[in-house]
Amino acid sequence: MSGLSRRDFFRTGGRLAAGLGASTGALTIIAPPTSAKERGTADSEALEQLAEKAAGQAALLYDATLCIGCRACELACNEKNQLGRTDDEIFAGRPAEDARALAPDVWTYVTFHQIEGDPSTASWGKVQCMHCIEPACVSSCPVVALEKTEEGPVIYNQYKCLGCRYCELACPFLVPRFEWETWNPYIRKCDMCYDRQQEGKPPACVEACPTGALLWGTREELLADAKARIEASPRTYVHHVYGEHEAGGTAFLHLAGRPFDELGYRRNLPLESYREYTKQSMLSVPYVLSTLALALGSVAWMVNRTKIGSEHGKSAEAGPAEGEKGGAA
Amino acid sequence: MTDSERLPLRWTLGLKILVALSVIGAVTIVYRFIVGLGPVTNLTDGYTWGFLTAVNKLTQIALAAGGFVMAGVIHIFGGHRLHGVARSAILAAFLGYLLFISALIVDLGRPWNLYWAIVSWNHYSPMFEVAWCVMMYSVVLLLEFTPVILERYRMTRTLKAFHDYVPYLIIAMLTFFTFVMTGSLLWTGAVFALTLLWEVLMRRGIMPRDHQMPLLLIMAGIMFSTLHQSTLGSLFLISDKLSPIWYSPLLPFIFFTSAVMVGPSMVVLERLLTTGIRRREPEIDVISSIARAMPYVIGFYLLVRVADLVFRGVVFEIVGITGQSAWFWLEMHLLVISLALYANLDSLPRKITLLLASLASVLAVVVHRVGVTMIGMSVPEYPRYVPHWLEYVMGIGLLAMGLLAYRLIVHFFPVYPESWSSHSSDQGASPTAALEPAASAVTSAPEV
Repeated sequence: MSGLSRRDFFRTGGRLAAGLGASTGALTIIAPPTSAKERGTADSEALEQLAEKAAGQAALLYDATLCIGCRACELACNEKNQLGRTDDEIFAGRPAEDARALAPDVWTYVTFHQIEGDPSTASWGKVQCMHCIEPACVSSCPVVALEKTEEGPVIYNQYKCLGCRYCELACPFLVPRFEWETWNPYIRKCDMCYDRQQEGKPPACVEACPTGALLWGTREELLADAKARIEASPRTYVHHVYGEHEAGGTAFLHLAGRPFDELGYRRNLPLESYREYTKQSMLSVPYVLSTLALALGSVAWMVNRTKIGSEHGKSAEAGPAEGEKGGAA
Repeated sequence: MTDSERLPLRWTLGLKILVALSVIGAVTIVYRFIVGLGPVTNLTDGYTWGFLTAVNKLTQIALAAGGFVMAGVIHIFGGHRLHGVARSAILAAFLGYLLFISALIVDLGRPWNLYWAIVSWNHYSPMFEVAWCVMMYSVVLLLEFTPVILERYRMTRTLKAFHDYVPYLIIAMLTFFTFVMTGSLLWTGAVFALTLLWEVLMRRGIMPRDHQMPLLLIMAGIMFSTLHQSTLGSLFLISDKLSPIWYSPLLPFIFFTSAVMVGPSMVVLERLLTTGIRRREPEIDVISSIARAMPYVIGFYLLVRVADLVFRGVVFEIVGITGQSAWFWLEMHLLVISLALYANLDSLPRKITLLLASLASVLAVVVHRVGVTMIGMSVPEYPRYVPHWLEYVMGIGLLAMGLLAYRLIVHFFPVYPESWSSHSSDQGASPTAALEPAASAVTSAPEV
């Protein structure tokens, strides 16, 4: 009895292994080509394609060297989006260097940074939705509540949102904010004043900026402008346009006179669209489905041919239950 | 059979504890829907998924893998002698999925919007695929459990209709699912043609037919599960916040393999723990034949994990002394313990060894999922996430509700035919006779 069961077991085990092998084959294609740790190995062709796609889209340029930290942009944003903060609250602010400055009622924030005891390193920075060309949040949102518009802004269709917060997990810039303190929560973030842009007006923050530190235009123009500024005064600027290639490129470009990591910007971000990380896995779905449909059916046929065939023969003679009972005992 | 003949449902201490935990959990959940997620969790915008996601969603789904693994082994890979465990494995999986959905509703900010997942499609989102797999596989599991309900009420004719029409429903589901996922008519057609081919071959008598369960139903279960289990891993591929100890392009495959690994262990555990309910000694020979495959399965999984670390070059991350590496080693130790116990079954006391071995591999999966969701995540801008005590209350409350539901269902339905038949074995023609081989009710109906 035990010898028989052991043989049975090995037969079953062998089939299981064969099946596992088959599904392994199907599953290996799920793996995306590069790991997140091999960052910086950007595919320049893919980057160019992304830049081309976004060339005519609306974009913003922030020049930290022109920013005077007056918070006019924050006041304008608060008023336009009816975020409900008082002017005093805005000016009192949070600890200005706090990288978590964004909140459901704070969609844009001017940060202040300096290396301790060295006022010459003082600089402003800006935290706001980067409006990526291929945003991680849009790629991850299961119901297209977050949407990359043709015109460039990444908008939020709040009526669809499930509140799964996958966008927060995905966003490389830590931008989306969830309303934790209510039974009826939404995700909140900057939408680049999409409605104003539809009317041909610039975003509220840009309109309010008194020094021209914030500009609105097409991405192509602003990128060229940013590069021209670096070229014109190479000693004023860090030679890097933050957002040109970060996470595949963003519609919000930043210029600064101090290294960006000093200003609280996330550094060493991969130079490819975050959508690439899950794309392979999603593309492999039909391969897995059809491979499994084929493999499982064939295996079931081969394995059960003798067994069920014989049971069938038996059941014709000895009644239906007998054959199965014999097999099961 | 009347209720009086069945084994009575005794109001035991265990049952009382389950009821208490469920009630406390339910009250907390009501409170959560009044005040929002903030006051009852320690989640932040940086650490946005926590205990409920790690344990009640990800782990829960992995533990529910027993359903599709056993169904596949029994009905496709020819393991007919394990047939006795199929029903409880399927019920456990079904309740696992119901629990997952419950936890999802608690954890989602706006669960009443769930229907948008059906209407508004994003082919790029793994979360979208997860949503569809959950819906589809829950239906499949319900269908796989339907024969038990039909037998309970002796609805032989409905049972026959079930076998006649369910395959077509499955073909429709798989085809539509493929279309939703790909938007490609070519792929949709391919999946439609393949599944229809098997059904036609079976109806023509060219291909053998499984009279206990429609083959396509079992296949669909495996297909949806494979995608679901692996896609839960894909969810994390887009995040740059996960430690390299866990972040791997192989995450989907690792999630799938670990689920296949833990599925049979869950069945072993369930068999051992339900002896009280079933009033009989555990069927050591059946359990052992499952257990004998386990060293290979766990060994394969260990190999995948280690090879993954070596080839990604993160071996140094796990030899450092950090909380993360300690958590990683905890998982590895549990796996090795489980492997060692399963492999040495013959020279150790059976029952306790099986119990410890299955428990160790279940815990290893818990540790892995918690590692991916909580321990491995780091967002330096935010204070580290430690679950709020009410998160434990809600999570454990949900688990208690699941166990309670399981206890009630096995009482009212013939999930464990043996505990039903023990009192009426003298009545030869009682429906319990039909319960023992699940097939007989169907096969006794005239062949098509």
